[in-house]
Amino acid sequence: QLSVLLSLQLTSEDMIAAFSQAVDWAGCTVRAFAWHPHTNKFAVALLDDSIRVYNSNSATVPSLKHRLQRNVAAMAWKPLCASILAVACQSCVLVWHLDPTSLSTRPSSGCAQVLSCPGHSPVTSLAWAPSGERLLSASPVDTAMLVWDVSTETCVQLQWFGGGGVTYLAWSPDGSKVLAATPSAVFRVWEAQMWTCERWPTIRGRCQTGCWSPDGSRLLFTVLGESVIYSLSFSEYRGEMQGQVGGSKTASIVADLSETTFETLYGEERIGGEVHSMVWDPTGERLAVIIRGESPNSQPAVAVFRTRNSPVFELLPCGFVRGERGARPQLISFHPCFPQGALLTVCWSSGKISHIPFFFVGALEPHASPRRSPVPVLGSVREQPLFSEL
Amino acid sequence: GAWAAAGPLRGHWAGGSRSPHAVSPQVLGWRVAAAITWSVLLLPICTAAFIILSGLDPFHPVRWISNSFNDLYTSYVIFCIFLMSMVIIIISIFNIEFYAVVPSIPCSRLALIGKIIHPQQVIHSFVHAIMGMLVTWCATVMTKGRFQFLAVSCTPSEGLEDAVPQMCLNEYHLFFLLSGAFLGYSYSLFYLINNMNYLPFPIIQQYKYLRFRRSLPLLIKHSCVESLHFVRNFCVTYYFFGYIPKVWICTTMDLHTDGKLHPLDTLSGLLDLSLFYHTWLSGVFLLMTWYIAWLLFKIYATESHHFPIQPTFAQETDQCLPKILNSNPPLLIKFLALQDLMLLSQYSPVRRQEVFSLSQPGGHPHNWTAISRECLSLLSDLTQRLIAQQEAAAAANGRAKPPVGELKVPPQTPGIASMSPLVKPSLMPVKTSPGSDVGSPFSSPALNYKMGVVDIKSPWHGPVQSPHVMRRGPKLWTSVSDQQMNGSHHESFPVLSAARTGTEAVQPRFIYTWLQNKQEQCTQNILVSSQHPEASIQAVFSDAQMHIWALEGLSHLVAASFTEDQFGVVQTTLPAILNTLLTLQEVVDRHFKLPHVSSKPPRISGSLVDTSYKTLRFALRASLKTALYRITTVFGEHLNAVQVSTEHKKRLQQFLEYKE
Repeated sequence: QLSVLLSLQLTSEDMIAAFSQAVDWAGCTVRAFAWHPHTNKFAVALLDDSIRVYNSNSATVPSLKHRLQRNVAAMAWKPLCASILAVACQSCVLVWHLDPTSLSTRPSSGCAQVLSCPGHSPVTSLAWAPSGERLLSASPVDTAMLVWDVSTETCVQLQWFGGGGVTYLAWSPDGSKVLAATPSAVFRVWEAQMWTCERWPTIRGRCQTGCWSPDGSRLLFTVLGESVIYSLSFSEYRGEMQGQVGGSKTASIVADLSETTFETLYGEERIGGEVHSMVWDPTGERLAVIIRGESPNSQPAVAVFRTRNSPVFELLPCGFVRGERGARPQLISFHPCFPQGALLTVCWSSGKISHIPFFFVGALEPHASPRRSPVPVLGSVREQPLFSEL
Repeated sequence: GAWAAAGPLRGHWAGGSRSPHAVSPQVLGWRVAAAITWSVLLLPICTAAFIILSGLDPFHPVRWISNSFNDLYTSYVIFCIFLMSMVIIIISIFNIEFYAVVPSIPCSRLALIGKIIHPQQVIHSFVHAIMGMLVTWCATVMTKGRFQFLAVSCTPSEGLEDAVPQMCLNEYHLFFLLSGAFLGYSYSLFYLINNMNYLPFPIIQQYKYLRFRRSLPLLIKHSCVESLHFVRNFCVTYYFFGYIPKVWICTTMDLHTDGKLHPLDTLSGLLDLSLFYHTWLSGVFLLMTWYIAWLLFKIYATESHHFPIQPTFAQETDQCLPKILNSNPPLLIKFLALQDLMLLSQYSPVRRQEVFSLSQPGGHPHNWTAISRECLSLLSDLTQRLIAQQEAAAAANGRAKPPVGELKVPPQTPGIASMSPLVKPSLMPVKTSPGSDVGSPFSSPALNYKMGVVDIKSPWHGPVQSPHVMRRGPKLWTSVSDQQMNGSHHESFPVLSAARTGTEAVQPRFIYTWLQNKQEQCTQNILVSSQHPEASIQAVFSDAQMHIWALEGLSHLVAASFTEDQFGVVQTTLPAILNTLLTLQEVVDRHFKLPHVSSKPPRISGSLVDTSYKTLRFALRASLKTALYRITTVFGEHLNAVQVSTEHKKRLQQFLEYKE
């Protein structure tokens, strides 16, 4: 409860910086990043509160600016849609309706819907339902998270008592469950049909980040102050269990990331510590995490794991991704539909964005839906040899 | 008591349909009974809160609390609770009688006035006023003190020692009773104006208790604010007209006025803080108990219902989802069935499997055929309605005059003829059986459209209860025949001037018809412009919730069929589905390009009164697009093998490239 009180005393900018998935939200040029779920298009929120939308098929880079678009903490593209982008801002949620065929570089602010609710700011996290029908928004100061019907701008408050606001949201890819982390040492998982929730207290601190397996049966999460990855499994979702989350009683530790010395091409390096953000690729075969160094001189690093979800869960170290000298990773994200394997995108503190492809043949056919054409590499790629088998 | 009231209703609810639907009394009767029971059970809690607050005495808290608790068990409080339970039951019956899943939207001010003076509404207002009086009478009894009795003994003001005490009128009591009647009437009026009989379905599924808890703070706030407004209005009314009932009561009951008391229809009389507080509090009490009954009915009625796909026993055939969708049950049942279709298509693989299954014996995909046919006919019905509306709008603007042949009316599906009567004429939701109009000349909108007859019953004409509005129903919208007449007249005008020199005999007749036409046009323009454009657009989309569910249900089923449909039953209907969706998409796009049509939803404040019907068209536009993308994303390049027209193929390609 102390952390709840503390969070209320923070200014909203400090609060966003504390709960954002970006490592250094306040200082870095890139504040938020979002891949479009179906096409080779991504949006980048910059330090000057503008958003750029890059598209592999078009040379025009629209720049989105709005009077209310300040301190962007998160962005999300609407699934099953051409070009609708939700932006979590300091005072509201902006929903940009961009014309995918337009050549304009400066869409007018009339293209943006403003979703606001009193007491619901700053917004630090957003999540679209994979079916594209509802949007969730969360604020660390509002105990309720909001379910929006964006087309009609109506919302339903999902309230619970105790635990403070909601800092981070993650909707499972199958659409059945939502992870909602709070500023206190407890997190909840909602089932997305009848909207009931189960709560899990953590021992040390608040849940910092989490990600779902493609079938929504397993949640990996990390806790502030601990350098381990937890796994929580859920009974398989069949749709007949209305109003049950079906999570297991306790989470198990699947990886210990405490600081270790590694022999690298550049000499010995100490890597390890708390996890700041974590992403799982859509096929469920690669897991990337940003590890914050424990000691002041150690650098944040991106570690990649090879994972398998069935028949038994497996997590094997795969390697580290290193940027240019002096560049620290800020944000990571996987391309939602990379046909030949997985494509990891890393935003660096230098302001560069690099795409790192992982070519592999999936153990299981990942999805029934056909994939789009291969992704041309957009940024600079510096892929390090995947060393260290830990 | 609750059961006794619910009993006759169960039969009544079922009575609407032609074929006896066992499902309606089962589903709806239980819901009504549960809603009424809960609102009666919550009454003692509200009463206790009222008694505690009405005895408010901040200077002696201990005495106040103990007095209030002692009052709770007295016989007259129990009698009042019993009486108010009756009131709640009657209010609930009115809620049930007046509910509508498709709101009636008055398109003009005149229509609204027509609604207010409609006999049904007059009865509604009258009964609510009486009920309001009863509740405030109970409130005065429970408050005790100086408000309790209508007649009190008093001594004449010109105090003589030997004067006999006589009965005087207690004006406070009268004030209370009249305020109750006023509140009841205002409630009824606002119920009508705010379309509170409309049952909005929630955007997410939640348990009833959670929905109730979520709405409760809003309900309390709304009651407090509204009671304040009503009491203020009542005070003003009483100030001006209060002497009339006072004099009338005094003369009929042979009561005297107490000279020692201030008369209440003066400024100083009304500036009584305690009187104001108690009036306001009883107003809050009245509104809260009534709103709770209303809210509970809304929550219970819109709760999702699980319809079986396939009957386990032969006698259950009538309760199956495909059967219900294809028949004409009460509209609420139809809504529930479509909602269930949406839910099963999204969440339940087991029930989807039943939809895709083949009949035994025979091997026909009866379930899928029935469901998809009904959804498609709903959607093509909407398409036709929108085309008609666009034609009318174009004609009213007098700019575009597209020939009738240009209309792309999709091939009629058999289910279509039964569609328009499903939409309830407003304010008589239960009384008119939706199915009974089948076969009447007004049943098919498409047919009427061709004939140039305007379907008065169809919802896009808004409510037409009052005889005034009914009479000019056809004129509110330019029908095709009018338009054709006008159009042909313009063409014939040069002929007229040429003929002027020729046959003199024909000329006066021509000029007469021309004048008549002009006059008609003028009246048309005036009538059309006096209509509120936003309201008439809302009226067109008033039942769009059905279409939204049909879209979601169909698209989820089609998307799931890619992996789950073992026999390929969906493939056979895929071209028809794509065709319907793309045609509707075109028409909806064109609708949003019309003048007066805003492209953004109006701001909805989070109030108790739900106005979600105002934004249904935006929800429809969004879910239509999402539905198309859901299908194209799953099927991808395979859609190129589906037979659709070249125009639609182009459109599909746009969707496949995420460029729509």
